[in-house]
Amino acid sequence: MVSASSWVRPATRTDQIENLVSGVGKCFNRNVGLLEDYLYLQIRTEQYDCLANLAILKLYQFNPDLYNPDVVINILIKALTSSPFPDFNLCISLLDDRPPSVNPDEPDPLPALLPLITTLHSLLQQCRFPAFWQLYNSDKAESLRDNYTVECVGFEDAVRDVVIRAVIPAFKRIGSDRLSSYLYLSGDDLIDYVGKLGWTIDQEGVVVIPPNADNTIVSTVVQENVQLPQLTKIITHSQNA
Amino acid sequence: MSQQRALWEVDLEDELQDVDVNLAIGSYGQSGLYDDAQPRVDEATLLAVQQQMAQQAAFAQIPDVVKRFIVHFHQAVLDNNLPEITVAYESGWNRLTEKFYAKTEWPEAEAIAPLVNDGVYLAFFPRIGAHIETPVHPPMRTSKPDQIFLILYRELYYRHVYSRLQPDIDDRFHSYENSCELFNYLLNSEGPVPLELPEQWLWDIIDEFIYQFQSFCVWRSKVKSKTDEELQLLADASQVWSSYSVLNVLYSLIQKSRINEHIVAVQEGKSQEELAEIVGDYGTRPLYRMLGYFSIIGLLRVHSLLGDFTLALKVMENVELNQKNIRVNIELHPEDEAVPHKKLPVRPGETDHIRPSWDVLTHMVSQINKIADRMYALYAICNALSPSRLDDNISNIVKERYGEQFSKMSRGEEGIPAFEELFLYACPKFIAANPPPYDFPELLSAYVDEPPSEPAQRHLSLFLAEVRAQAPVPTLRSFLKLYTSLDAKKLANFLDADEEEMVQQMMVMKQASRSVSRVENEKGLLAGETVPTSDLDFVIDDNMVHIAESTVGRRYAGWFIRNTEHAQRVYDTIKNAPLPVKKVPKAPTTESQPASAVPASATVPKSAGAKVAWGGVQVA
Repeated sequence: MVSASSWVRPATRTDQIENLVSGVGKCFNRNVGLLEDYLYLQIRTEQYDCLANLAILKLYQFNPDLYNPDVVINILIKALTSSPFPDFNLCISLLDDRPPSVNPDEPDPLPALLPLITTLHSLLQQCRFPAFWQLYNSDKAESLRDNYTVECVGFEDAVRDVVIRAVIPAFKRIGSDRLSSYLYLSGDDLIDYVGKLGWTIDQEGVVVIPPNADNTIVSTVVQENVQLPQLTKIITHSQNA
Repeated sequence: MSQQRALWEVDLEDELQDVDVNLAIGSYGQSGLYDDAQPRVDEATLLAVQQQMAQQAAFAQIPDVVKRFIVHFHQAVLDNNLPEITVAYESGWNRLTEKFYAKTEWPEAEAIAPLVNDGVYLAFFPRIGAHIETPVHPPMRTSKPDQIFLILYRELYYRHVYSRLQPDIDDRFHSYENSCELFNYLLNSEGPVPLELPEQWLWDIIDEFIYQFQSFCVWRSKVKSKTDEELQLLADASQVWSSYSVLNVLYSLIQKSRINEHIVAVQEGKSQEELAEIVGDYGTRPLYRMLGYFSIIGLLRVHSLLGDFTLALKVMENVELNQKNIRVNIELHPEDEAVPHKKLPVRPGETDHIRPSWDVLTHMVSQINKIADRMYALYAICNALSPSRLDDNISNIVKERYGEQFSKMSRGEEGIPAFEELFLYACPKFIAANPPPYDFPELLSAYVDEPPSEPAQRHLSLFLAEVRAQAPVPTLRSFLKLYTSLDAKKLANFLDADEEEMVQQMMVMKQASRSVSRVENEKGLLAGETVPTSDLDFVIDDNMVHIAESTVGRRYAGWFIRNTEHAQRVYDTIKNAPLPVKKVPKAPTTESQPASAVPASATVPKSAGAKVAWGGVQVA
């Protein structure tokens, strides 16, 4: 069971930011700086606060002058690794189509990167993890890696968290090769990673995932449960008849 | 605009009066002083006379019954007489619209202004409401017209234009200005205003405000069809119907009324005194309280229109949706009932005013049905994406209305057009937050050459991307249902798929059968826990797939209850039916059985008399 309460309010969110996210404070442009600083803090410290980042996009939506493509790209990179939760599309929903940049001195990197980031997201969404790593490590993604994800501390581990979230409910045991292709880890790295998760590797080299509510399946028969109120009408009628 | 004009008129009148005096003094000479003043005065006088004549002409064209209605309506508003306002609002206005203004505008507010001079008319008609004489000429401007009533009147005037006619750019701009004046009056007066309006009207004010905003955004986004004059006006007025201003009004109403604090306090079981202290001067008044509450719903709508779904749910976090009647917790306030509403005796001949117009009711029912239809379409989408057993009645209606689309949507990739069709039919009418760049001609032409995709299309493509990610699920599901365990390689063979790809799809399937759902007693619409939603579950053990299905035991009770109730209805019907006494058949019977009737009448001699009375009827 994953609770959404830490998504609604992460422990790392300060009261000041909380006021901006939940209060009316978010309507004021001068606060965009605070929220942008908070985003860069998330980038550096492996934190994540979707609602605060959505508040930035909201300000951009209403004030095209504030728009900063680097911030948008960082927000999308953060949201990418929250799959299977819908954060990424929630962010995209707030990105209205905008006219092409008018200032040739400040080219907007977003239009060029957006299709790539969207494809990466859809690969994660479809659990096509080996394909994700292949695209992510290809030349096509060089500018994304060199300019953005390199700054985002723990990005690759965050992607691995997406993998783990998908593997835990679906598998009792998973072959090392398969897991290795999902996590883009091999040899000792893989063994270390699996160890950190508290998982074990059996004699056949198959990784064993501890039982949890989702990978323990049981057939059940749901029996009906009749409540008295359902019978009120009938009983009343027989009284009156 | 109107205020400026009013000031200008006052100036003009002052000037004229001065001139009169001067003319009187003029006989003393010094005429040279007035030589150049004279033509200016004539022009001004001319203008004033022309304007007065135009207003008089417009005034004369107003049917007497409408004049009486407006006077009456105004008086009801002045008296804060809710029952009378309700009758005028829900019945009178609509009936007169049907009769006189089905295809044209109501008279302009300026034209009816003479009827609503603050209290002046009381002098003319001391027995207001009883037998109002019809004013023939506008009365002297002895006092200013009741601006508040005129604002409310314009609110109705423009709503009528939007719903029955085609609003032009002036209507759109002026309805915005009028909304601003109304909300300014409510929010920026010194303290709460002493106005009372029926809840239905308050709801309609917020509802219409958002509708006009949305309508404006859609109209504004179509650059190509604008005339030069419209382009100019739009370039100069970027603030008109801006998203900011609309959100500002709704947030201000929520803050002023302290409705969120109010709801929380009611949930905490605070006493009336504590409540009154918490909500303050504004929140204790029904007008502000209801406007605040309706603004929460309004924000839900505006944020959804703008594509901000998290914020839309967040504003609703205090509203309890699990209550059967959402408004119960806010309406039950004894102090409201303590204010005795003067119940007016219904005079003979006026009862028909109270009867709601049939057209209005039919219109409302068809509106509700349309919304219900869209809800069923959304339900069909959800149930196709996450099949589960829910309320039988709802499922049956969905099957009836969207059975074809539903079965397509349940088949994965080939159902995409059906998803598209239902999504576009049922989704909010999305709008763009910002106008096209009307104030930058060169950007505007680029915009026209390469228009951005419409907001609804953007949201559609996002939605379809989600659907496509889940597209393999229905096929997998149908295969898994046949087994309790099978080898992954074998399953991949059945599906004619690559084993690794299929295993990845199974992870998608697992995720698609989980959803964040509100658990009991949890507050906020964004919170929740991940819960399983599907009756079919599986797990992969290295290369073996194990499947478990939750089945629902045969349901006897529902069947028993339904049929017992049905039997009771049949029993009641039979019991209440008159005894089957043989009746004298009526003429139509012969028509329904011509084959037997005609020969019968033919074989019976006419002289047979009463026994074949119907035969006689046929002859006659």
